[in-house]
Amino acid sequence: MAKDPLAEAGLHYDELNKLRILEPDVGQKTTELKEECKDFVDKIGQFQKIVGGLIEMVDELAKEAEKEKMKVCTVNTFKMTLNRCDMLLIILQAIGARNLLKSVAKQREAQQQQLQALIAEKKMQLERYRIEYEALCKVEAEQNEFIDQFILQK
Amino acid sequence: MRFKTSLLKEPKELVSCVGWASADELFSCSEDHQILKWNLLTHETSVVVKLQDDIFPTELHWFPKAASGKKQAMAENFVLTSTDGKFHFISKTGRIEKSLEAHRGAVLAGRWNYDGTALITAGEDGQIKIWSKSGMLRSTLAQQASPVYSVAWGPDSDRVLYTLGRQLVIKPLQPGSKVLQWKAHDGIILKVDWNSVNDLILSGGEDCKYKVWDSYGRLLYTSSPNDYPVTSVAWSPDGEVFAIGSFNTLRLCDKTGWSYALEKPSTGSVFSLAWSADGTQLAGACGNGQVIFAHIVEQRWEWRNFEVTLTKRRTMQVRNVLNDAVDILEFRDPVIKASLAHGHLVVTTPLQCSIYSTKNWNTPLIFDVKEGTVSLILQAERYACLFTRFSPFLFLSRSQVPMTPAFQGFKIVDILKNPLYWGKKYRPANISMMDVSDLPFSFPVVYLFDAQTGKALGDGKPLVHKMEVMEVALDQCGPSSERKIALIDKNRDLYVLAVRRLGRDQTLHKLGTMVHTMAWNDSANILCGIQDAQFTVWYYPNVVFVDKGLLPKTLFTKDGSEFSRAPHILNYAGGQVTVRRADGSLVYSLVSPYPTLLHEYAGSARWEDALRLCRFAKPVWRVWLVMAVANRELSTAEAAYAAIGEVDKVQYIVFIKEQPSKESSLAQMLLFSGHVQECEATMLQAGLIYQAIQTHINLYNWDRALELAVKHKTHVDTVLAHRQKFLQDFGKKETNKRFLQYSEGVEVDWDKIQAKIEMEVARERERGTPSSIRSSVASRR
Repeated sequence: MAKDPLAEAGLHYDELNKLRILEPDVGQKTTELKEECKDFVDKIGQFQKIVGGLIEMVDELAKEAEKEKMKVCTVNTFKMTLNRCDMLLIILQAIGARNLLKSVAKQREAQQQQLQALIAEKKMQLERYRIEYEALCKVEAEQNEFIDQFILQK
Repeated sequence: MRFKTSLLKEPKELVSCVGWASADELFSCSEDHQILKWNLLTHETSVVVKLQDDIFPTELHWFPKAASGKKQAMAENFVLTSTDGKFHFISKTGRIEKSLEAHRGAVLAGRWNYDGTALITAGEDGQIKIWSKSGMLRSTLAQQASPVYSVAWGPDSDRVLYTLGRQLVIKPLQPGSKVLQWKAHDGIILKVDWNSVNDLILSGGEDCKYKVWDSYGRLLYTSSPNDYPVTSVAWSPDGEVFAIGSFNTLRLCDKTGWSYALEKPSTGSVFSLAWSADGTQLAGACGNGQVIFAHIVEQRWEWRNFEVTLTKRRTMQVRNVLNDAVDILEFRDPVIKASLAHGHLVVTTPLQCSIYSTKNWNTPLIFDVKEGTVSLILQAERYACLFTRFSPFLFLSRSQVPMTPAFQGFKIVDILKNPLYWGKKYRPANISMMDVSDLPFSFPVVYLFDAQTGKALGDGKPLVHKMEVMEVALDQCGPSSERKIALIDKNRDLYVLAVRRLGRDQTLHKLGTMVHTMAWNDSANILCGIQDAQFTVWYYPNVVFVDKGLLPKTLFTKDGSEFSRAPHILNYAGGQVTVRRADGSLVYSLVSPYPTLLHEYAGSARWEDALRLCRFAKPVWRVWLVMAVANRELSTAEAAYAAIGEVDKVQYIVFIKEQPSKESSLAQMLLFSGHVQECEATMLQAGLIYQAIQTHINLYNWDRALELAVKHKTHVDTVLAHRQKFLQDFGKKETNKRFLQYSEGVEVDWDKIQAKIEMEVARERERGTPSSIRSSVASRR
């Protein structure tokens, strides 16, 4: 096509036949750019919004995290308490065991006492038997002596 | 001997008292207000009644069975004392018949007396009250400042024993009588008991000791301290053993105090103990809510080579020590009493009596015992005597004569209270000799019984000694007319007394002093005893009837230190004496067998054998001698006197042998034995008046000599002459009025007197057997 003079003058017509300083292409591209920019701005806005939400969320999370942190702390304390309880229990058990031991010891003592009483009784009986045995031995000796004498005299 | 214990039920509330309703039914009362009945046959326990909530029982005592013969109403009742100051009469079915206010504060004790006529209660307020059978207050016996924890009736229900802090008090019911009070324990006394059979007192207290006292408050035994306070004591009904209860402790002791056995059941403190009436079972009220039952097992009887043991309640084991043969005897019912002696074992159960011969354990003689529980068995060679609550009866163990009631009119209480002894015949084969023999008897006054008829011997009058008799024993051999009783009185003097003189001439001859215990030999009339610290054997106690001077010569003594303090002779069989020491051990002692042999020879009149034995065993000469004198065996007596070197006695016997007549030698013999009166009587009876007078002159018995001379109007001058001579010899003057009176009219002419004496002697010689000249010169030495 032939060179448009107007174009040389830097004037151009667009499709709507309006006079334009800019070349239609450029104009078109500008519009495009403009629109793209608008898009971009929109998107950035959206992004910002999202990021804001995110931050908010993160903040919230942070808060939550803080909270959780606090919570964890309590749990720990609790756990510690629990531990202590355990210890206490063990101590108590130990005391109990010790008491039990003591009572067993006492029981044993009582048993021992009883047995000792029984032993003393048996000992007395033994002593009686010993005396009886000795007396019988003496009788035997006397009888033997008597028999010897008897035989001798005969 | 020990307890076999059993607990029937799970523990509940503290049981405070128990009491036997019958031989196998027990009532117990506990803090949960329940009265329980325990049936031992079915092992069932049932609640009789639940009392009001404010009744906390303290003591339960059944109305005495012995007293309830007629009045059945009371028989089934018991008295229950409680802490609310009341006591209650409760029937067997649990009905409260009566509740009576008795004390301020708790009633701590309540006991019926033995005949059931009075009830005694003691309380925290220190008062002791006596109530009638129906519950009327009779009197307040005592008012003390501190609580009275326990009371007991004396054997005759005429005295009451009660605790007062650390002291014991015996108070007679009769007002104004002397009260006996003594400090008995180092701690508060919690329980006392007084046995009606042996009259001994038992006390236990917080000083953890138990003690045995006699009824005069003398201490007989004190135990070593136990681990816990003694919370209950109880005599068995026959008084042979007693039981002690303490924390987790049950102890069985002999009446002398030493302990047979100790049990340690886990029962808590035993607050109350009760024996069943037959003495075989014991029940205890335990602090942990149980009721403990115990019966005695492993009782032993020994005779010669046999050993009988009660292994279980219904089983006996017989062991022959010689060959180790073992027999088991089984019974249908629990054994109550047994006795082993004279070759027979007598065993009684509630319904039957079995008699075994040691020769044959397979076929016992069994018969029913109708009248109830046998409480005592006595055995003799051919007899056994069983005593039931109502009457004793006898039977012949060999010829199986049916039982006959014996000793009518004597309640068993009377008889049981007293030691009984039993005689036996020397020769069992000689049945015709049986009629007046075998005499058991009893005291405080001594009665003798004829075993054949069961009647009291003699005129039925008892022998009454001036002192309280502690021990009495009848010799075991010889004809019944020559039996002797040995008895020890309260002063510990030993006397011997001839049975035939019973009722007429109760002369007691003293054998020894400080005799604690004695026993006759089972086969010869030898008596042994423990005298102070010496063991003494009287080889021939008869000596006191013959010649008292010879008594020390027929003694055998040896050191008795091995018997220690307060021993008791169990038996004297053959040549062996068995002694039970105070600590319970048995000690044996040998006695020479020769005197026993000698007795046997003398009993069967084998003088020659006896003489040989004497030559063989020198020490028995003396015993022999006395026997010979007793039997008027002059030649043996002479030999015996010669053997022991009594020259004067030998000479006198020679003199007796030279007597011109039998009568005068008999009289001289009597004189020799010291029986002057009998001698005189014999001479006068024989018409030997001069000899009688001369005897009295010889004895310096001037009054009697003169009296005889004057009475018979002869030899007055002889008496006066001798009197004058006597006075001259001693350079004295006549002071006797009668002699002064008679000497006035009589002239003393020695020649005439001499001639008269010669004449008398000649006359006697003519009458009697010819013998050498009996010279009055001999009597004028």
